[in-house]
Amino acid sequence: MKRARFLRYLGFGSLVALLLVAGFTLHLDLRVRSEFEGRRFALPARIFARPLELHQGLRVPQPAVEQELRDLGYKYAGQGESGWFVRRDDGLEIAVRPFVFWDGPQPARTVHVTFEGGAVAELRDAQGTPLPLARLDPLPIGGIYPAGNEDRILVRLNEVPKHLIDALVAVEDRSFFSHAGFDPRGLARAAVSLVSGRVQGGSTLTQQLVKNFFLTPERTLQRKFTELIMAVLLELHYDKREILETYLNEIYLGQDRDRAIHGIGLAAQFYFGKQVQYLTLAESALLVGMVKGPALYDPHRHPARALERRNLVLRETREQNTITLEQCSAARGSALNVNSKPSMGTSPYPAFLQLVHRQLRRDYDEADLRSEGLRIFTTLDPQVQGAAERALTRRLAQFDKEKRFGEPGLEGAVVVTDAQSGEVQALIGGKDLRYPGFNRALDAARPVGSLLKPAVYLTALSDPSRYTLATPLDDSPFLWQSRGAKDWEPANYDKKYHGAVPLRTALAQSYNVATARLGTDIGVERVLDDVRRLGVQRPMQPYAATLLGAVDLSPLEVAQMYQTIATGGFRAPLRAIREVTTQQGVPLKRYPLAVEQAFAPEPMYLITAALQGVVREGTAQGLANWLRPELTVAGKTGTTDEQRDAWFAGFTGDRLGIVWIGYDDNRAAKLSGAAAALPVWGEMMAALDPEPLVLPKPEGIELVSIDPQTGLRGGVSCAGAQELPFVQGSAPQERAPCSSGLDAAAEAVDATVQKAKSWLERLFGK
Amino acid sequence: MKYLVVLLALLAGCATPPEPGPETPPVTEPLPEAQQRRESVAIAGLMESARSDTAAGRLANAAASLERALRIEPRNPRLWQELARVRLLQGEYAQAESLAARPNSWAGSDSGLRAENQRLIEQARQAAR
Repeated sequence: MKRARFLRYLGFGSLVALLLVAGFTLHLDLRVRSEFEGRRFALPARIFARPLELHQGLRVPQPAVEQELRDLGYKYAGQGESGWFVRRDDGLEIAVRPFVFWDGPQPARTVHVTFEGGAVAELRDAQGTPLPLARLDPLPIGGIYPAGNEDRILVRLNEVPKHLIDALVAVEDRSFFSHAGFDPRGLARAAVSLVSGRVQGGSTLTQQLVKNFFLTPERTLQRKFTELIMAVLLELHYDKREILETYLNEIYLGQDRDRAIHGIGLAAQFYFGKQVQYLTLAESALLVGMVKGPALYDPHRHPARALERRNLVLRETREQNTITLEQCSAARGSALNVNSKPSMGTSPYPAFLQLVHRQLRRDYDEADLRSEGLRIFTTLDPQVQGAAERALTRRLAQFDKEKRFGEPGLEGAVVVTDAQSGEVQALIGGKDLRYPGFNRALDAARPVGSLLKPAVYLTALSDPSRYTLATPLDDSPFLWQSRGAKDWEPANYDKKYHGAVPLRTALAQSYNVATARLGTDIGVERVLDDVRRLGVQRPMQPYAATLLGAVDLSPLEVAQMYQTIATGGFRAPLRAIREVTTQQGVPLKRYPLAVEQAFAPEPMYLITAALQGVVREGTAQGLANWLRPELTVAGKTGTTDEQRDAWFAGFTGDRLGIVWIGYDDNRAAKLSGAAAALPVWGEMMAALDPEPLVLPKPEGIELVSIDPQTGLRGGVSCAGAQELPFVQGSAPQERAPCSSGLDAAAEAVDATVQKAKSWLERLFGK
Repeated sequence: MKYLVVLLALLAGCATPPEPGPETPPVTEPLPEAQQRRESVAIAGLMESARSDTAAGRLANAAASLERALRIEPRNPRLWQELARVRLLQGEYAQAESLAARPNSWAGSDSGLRAENQRLIEQARQAAR
């Protein structure tokens, strides 16, 4: 009887215990699954630079293409289906990787490119058939990551080199591919060490992964037991490959200031500046070695210890026979090769990424950007970005050295766009290029100074009955009085007055007094209307001082304003994104080329000719140190009060660039736009082999010879006579005294020829 | 066209006194034609795929190909015109109008091209009403 009751209690007790264990297990099961799923499926948006499209005539020198291929991780003289290139004859043979573009997948293929005179001469496929186009895969330039400083570059298992996995398994968990989540021998060892009072070691990769799901590194028996159950549960639900992939994306591999380096993808980027698939055996072994103690074996702080650990990993990998003796010794003989200055973010171009992120946020939910694995194709041109970075870095270092104004040193920002389409090709937000901090290109609104002048002259030239490039302007002392405002008496940069100067010269020499008089004559509001039509949206004060640039704009806003001039009066919103697709490549959204005509072609032609004059004979003559005069670049310097801001804005036939240099705290930089910003611009553009700025002449424009002495009609008999563009009928009628009867006759004949020409054109259709 | 050149040469040759220096300032030099012609292999392919996409109603793809081509030859008036035509089909009338106006300054003496642009502009304006 007693015995039966005992058995009943026992049975009941066991049942309760069983239920408790089952409930606990169920609880753990839910937890482990939700943790695992959560980690596997939060995919950050991946962002790509523009793909390099090779075609006959493309102005790109061979070394630049080689550099881009190396940045993409193409191996020189490599092997396999794709991802390598080799020099052949007068060009390159490139095994282009397959890639899924917005307009569909592009298979791997081999391309032969030849170069001549800094441009692509010929393009052929493997069979020697001429190719119209060859598009390389685009450079990944970063992602938009989940909150909490958990930067991550998720990798797929098939992207991870086999030698990395071999090394990992050899060192951390030799029976990984056969065990059920735990290793009995390891467990026995752990039990022994438990008796000795310390719980350690014996963790399988699965257990290590589970450990990562907890936030605290507690080391109790209970935790150990829980981890064990969860590891077994994980193995029940997921296969080895899924577990390994998640492990590789979870593993903690060091610290970058306040940012934790989680995952092999980010570690490859952080320590070697590479995508994971390009890690060598030696590099893989180093990372695997760090798993045991990322701080202890930090290759930056403890290189000797890290090297020793790496070689141990290599030896243990060799013992498993997964690498050959030669591979092992070669790897052991190689240097650590870690980045000397570790990158500050996951993207080499954090400033550009901020612009992309802002444009994306208009159309997408922040949560989707961080978890849906969207693929974002941007307009960034790594070659342009590189040229901008080199020019700015070099010049800033030089100015800091020359000026010795102490810390913090000079700052700078650069924006480069495609002159026709408004695509942003490069963006620099500060001298610390890799640091995703304050973005001066987007967020530093600074007085623009003389950069606003072209708007004043554009407004004037829109009224050809009053103003032409030859109209004399008055640059004598000027006092502006208006009710409710302080009296305003602008001065010139050289503290002198220049009397009567032709309009084009007043702009070329950036005379403040003549410009102030001109702007107040035509009306501040009318000028500001045109500034707005040029694309500036920020509210501006309708004061006379605004005419001389007492208005704060960011470099990006200035770029938008000059873009409209570069496109001949068609406003094109600056764009950083071309396309967005799902992770699988299904197109979601395009950001199409859009233009809007904001100005008539004639005044645009005139203001551009005047801006070419600034470079040819005005304040930007210094550009001749970098760019040949035949390129007929258009540009404008800008310098603000006490030289706090140095600006240069200009465009060639293919690119528009804005450069700003100054101090964050508004100290006087004692550098003018021509002395500080212009050299950066010139050096950058020269490195990009610019196209000449060639303006097609609108129908309503005629060229008239002008005598520089009098500003009247000249001709061959006038010394130094210049041909200037005028809106038809607006050129001065009166002849200069130097002009002879012959000039008048020649002009009459020219006019007749023009008439005959247009009559014939109409007759013959072309 | 040949007649025109000969006639112009005659007119210019007999009437204009020999001029020192460049006849026009650098600002008005015509586009380097050699370069334009060299590029056209790449352009032809993209235009072809844009045309077949348009015919098949894949207008977004057609526009993408044309934009790709415009990155290669940003001043090719035919590409702008083609893109204007696609935008018109997409019902983007304001864009169609602007895009058709865009190449007029580069169309030079090609009056056929200009006339077609004008026709597109009119069409876009009417459709927008």
